Amino acid sequence: MGRIVLENVTKSFGDAHVIPPLDLTIEDGEFTVFVGPSGCGKSTLLRLIAGLEETTSGRIVIDDADVTEVSPSKRGLAMVFQSYALYPHMTVRKNIAFPMRMAGVPESEQEERVMAAAKSLNLVDYLDRKPGQLSGGQRQRVAIGRAIVRDPTAFLFDEPLSNLDAALRVGMRLEISEMHERMKTTMIYVTHDQVEAMTMADKIVVLQAGVIEQVGTPLELYRTPRNKFVAGFIGSPKMNFITGEEAAHYGAETIGVRPEHIQVSADSGKWTGKVSVSEHLGSDTFFHIHDTGLADTITVRADGEVSFKHGDTIHLTPREDVVHKFDAAGLRIT
Amino acid sequence: MSNRTLPRLLQTPAVVLLLFWMLIPLSMTLYFSFIRYVLNSLRRPEWTKPSLSNWRGFGNYEFVLNNKDFLLAIQNSLLIVCSILFFTVIFGILIAVLINKSFPGQGIVRVLLISPFFVMPAVNAVLWINMILDPVLGLQGLAVNGLNEVIQALREAPLIGWFFSLWPELTPISFRATQTSAIAVIIMVTWQWTPFAVLIFMTSLQSEDQQQKEAAILDGAGAWSQFRFLTLPHLGRPIAIVVMIQAIFHLSLYAEIEIVSRGNGNKNLPYLIGEFANNNIGAASATGIFAVILANIVAFFLLRMIGKTLME
Amino acid sequence: MAIVAQHSRFSKIAWPVLAWIVGLLFFFPIFWMVLTSFKTDADAVKPEYLFFFTPTLENYANMTENYDYWRFATNSVIVSVFATAFTLFVGIPSAYAMAFNPSRSTKDVLMWMLSTKMLPAAGVLYPMTFLTKNILGIFDTHFLVILVLSLINLPIVIWMLFTYFKEIPKDIIEAGKMDGVNTWGEIREILIPLAWGGIASTALLCFIFCWNEAYWTVRLTTTDAATLSKLIEGNRAPEGLFFGRLSAVSTAAVGPIVVLGWFCQKQLVQGLTFGAVK
Repeated sequence: MGRIVLENVTKSFGDAHVIPPLDLTIEDGEFTVFVGPSGCGKSTLLRLIAGLEETTSGRIVIDDADVTEVSPSKRGLAMVFQSYALYPHMTVRKNIAFPMRMAGVPESEQEERVMAAAKSLNLVDYLDRKPGQLSGGQRQRVAIGRAIVRDPTAFLFDEPLSNLDAALRVGMRLEISEMHERMKTTMIYVTHDQVEAMTMADKIVVLQAGVIEQVGTPLELYRTPRNKFVAGFIGSPKMNFITGEEAAHYGAETIGVRPEHIQVSADSGKWTGKVSVSEHLGSDTFFHIHDTGLADTITVRADGEVSFKHGDTIHLTPREDVVHKFDAAGLRIT
Repeated sequence: MSNRTLPRLLQTPAVVLLLFWMLIPLSMTLYFSFIRYVLNSLRRPEWTKPSLSNWRGFGNYEFVLNNKDFLLAIQNSLLIVCSILFFTVIFGILIAVLINKSFPGQGIVRVLLISPFFVMPAVNAVLWINMILDPVLGLQGLAVNGLNEVIQALREAPLIGWFFSLWPELTPISFRATQTSAIAVIIMVTWQWTPFAVLIFMTSLQSEDQQQKEAAILDGAGAWSQFRFLTLPHLGRPIAIVVMIQAIFHLSLYAEIEIVSRGNGNKNLPYLIGEFANNNIGAASATGIFAVILANIVAFFLLRMIGKTLME
Repeated sequence: MAIVAQHSRFSKIAWPVLAWIVGLLFFFPIFWMVLTSFKTDADAVKPEYLFFFTPTLENYANMTENYDYWRFATNSVIVSVFATAFTLFVGIPSAYAMAFNPSRSTKDVLMWMLSTKMLPAAGVLYPMTFLTKNILGIFDTHFLVILVLSLINLPIVIWMLFTYFKEIPKDIIEAGKMDGVNTWGEIREILIPLAWGGIASTALLCFIFCWNEAYWTVRLTTTDAATLSKLIEGNRAPEGLFFGRLSAVSTAAVGPIVVLGWFCQKQLVQGLTFGAVK
């Protein structure tokens, strides 16, 4: 089991109120991602759940037990840190076994579980090395191994992939997803990268300034963002926002159109502009378009075969069914 | 949450120990400074025990302020500390720049240079004042004598003898006199602490941005300009640190002065207190309070500097 | 082009020569002391035997007889070792608390600790003598010297340890918390193994300071607990006739420490500057 409930949780550092009163329920077995720009309080929220920060007020409940006052190690959670936080003076084997040693697990069982974890993480050959002799990806695996052997009720990941290079990051992302499929344990994962959030999560929690902007599945957030912030944060390239007269036609203060929801044409369309930069990725082409009279730049995602040069006139047509409308307060109009 | 209380409690032993160490003797000093209290007095035996009935008010302070040695001691204290700071920083920078370039035997030179720092102050003082600076038996005396003999011999020489007969006889300097013993202290402490400055400046020089220097060379900066506009600003922080840490140690400089100055007029505050403490405890305590006040004034500025430099 | 080459040839020779001269100049007093220690007292003051003389070991052989060297040396070792141990024993938990569980007052506490180091010892000299002699009766005991040496070095030691501890990533300590170590386990299993180098060089430096201390050790002892500083200080008078033996005992007093210092110069910089210069 691993159902985590936050009730009215707040956190202040002195006069700085990092988390205003916040309620959140994470169901058992769910892969939940906290995402938001840096400084949005997502790491603080994770550390509150872990018990590494004290809550200022409110309750944290894990499987119907109030753990607000319980020390981190007694909450039955395991955490993987951004910096891996391996013990540099211990071998991989000792690192992985450390939590069990602290819990007084018999030696033979420790060895068994270390081997099982090492096998599943491809670390068997490295058990007698020190962390300093491992690559970033291997260190990350050791950190995960150390979490697995504790058999926790939930895993907490604090930006675990941000210290890895781009290629490894994609690989580890898959491994963690597979691990979740296999173990079906609750996982809470913090990241600032919306791609990680979209690809891995069962449920995404978008945070800004300590406030939950929206909770939902990746596609819910993509299709029906509750406000302008979520709309802008989820999706890559970012959604285009258009204000003024054009928005007023739709009966909104602001309208948002995703780059992939705009069709381009050389001769006719609803909007007209000049191509500033075109980026060819092979599969897709991104056009950055100026002089539309709508916004500074409109970004469009087109097919890889489409070709316009700098300075070309381009005509744009949004897909009307997926134009997002927002009111003056930035909230979605349905 | 209780898991924060225990770790914080761990600092109490240190705090309590230092609090006792600071408060108990200090409050006793304060008390003694307001009473008549001497160790030996045939005329007034009642003054040989500390007691409130011997209350003297600010009498001890007046006595100390009117003592001719007091101002001299403060002057000396400041002169010695400031000179040491000045010379160690100047020499430290020059030597650090000198040995920062790699050359054969750099490691050995570095070891030779750092050695004086570990010599115990008592040995340092005895070594310098007796074996090196002594006007008769020390190297100084021997060197001056040797020079005089050479000059004497040259006077006898034909043709150039007249030139050397114009030279005066050299006299060795006694470093045990009032004015010169402060110089002796400055020399020996500078010798001891310059290595410290060198070590710190050198470490800092090694972290200097080499690309920045290369950019400066391309911009046409000569060696001096590089030193003036790049190296010196880079050393700003280490210089502040050298000054701070030395000030902490030199404010209570004692051993060297004790050894050099026995029996002559060169006193700094700690030494004057020691002298008073031979009999007049009241005056010694009043001087002590003055020393504490002086140190606090310096410490106030130093600590603000340290706070800024080290705790950013 | 020619100018560049000439310049570098000049600096290739002149630079090292200058560096060596400065190095030798600074080392000279120590060299002179060691050299003199091999001369007889009579030879030591004769100009004709400045560098060329018949070396003798009699000064070292007679050290016990002349100065009772070993008694003072034993005292120095005892008080320095125990003072260093006690300082670390008090300092490590304290520095740990300040580095990993800082409160708003931590900075002020550290500053205050350092300020006690700046209090002129002389200001409290008589009260300390009075207190230890007339009230507590511990004047001239090892216990007193150890206690005082610990107290005067405690601020510096805590500062140094604090700097070393702060370099340990907070994440590792937190990982330990998640893995179920308690406070003592944190110190024993994580902090001490990780900061071992820093703790060792702090201990070394503390030992050196204790060994060289020359105010309290001179003022608070007479015979029983007197250290080498007291021994040398007691022979400070211009004993021209005894330069040989004085050099020998001085060499014996500083030799071990200077050698020890050679090994820890790097750590010294980091520790003494509280990590501000690396």
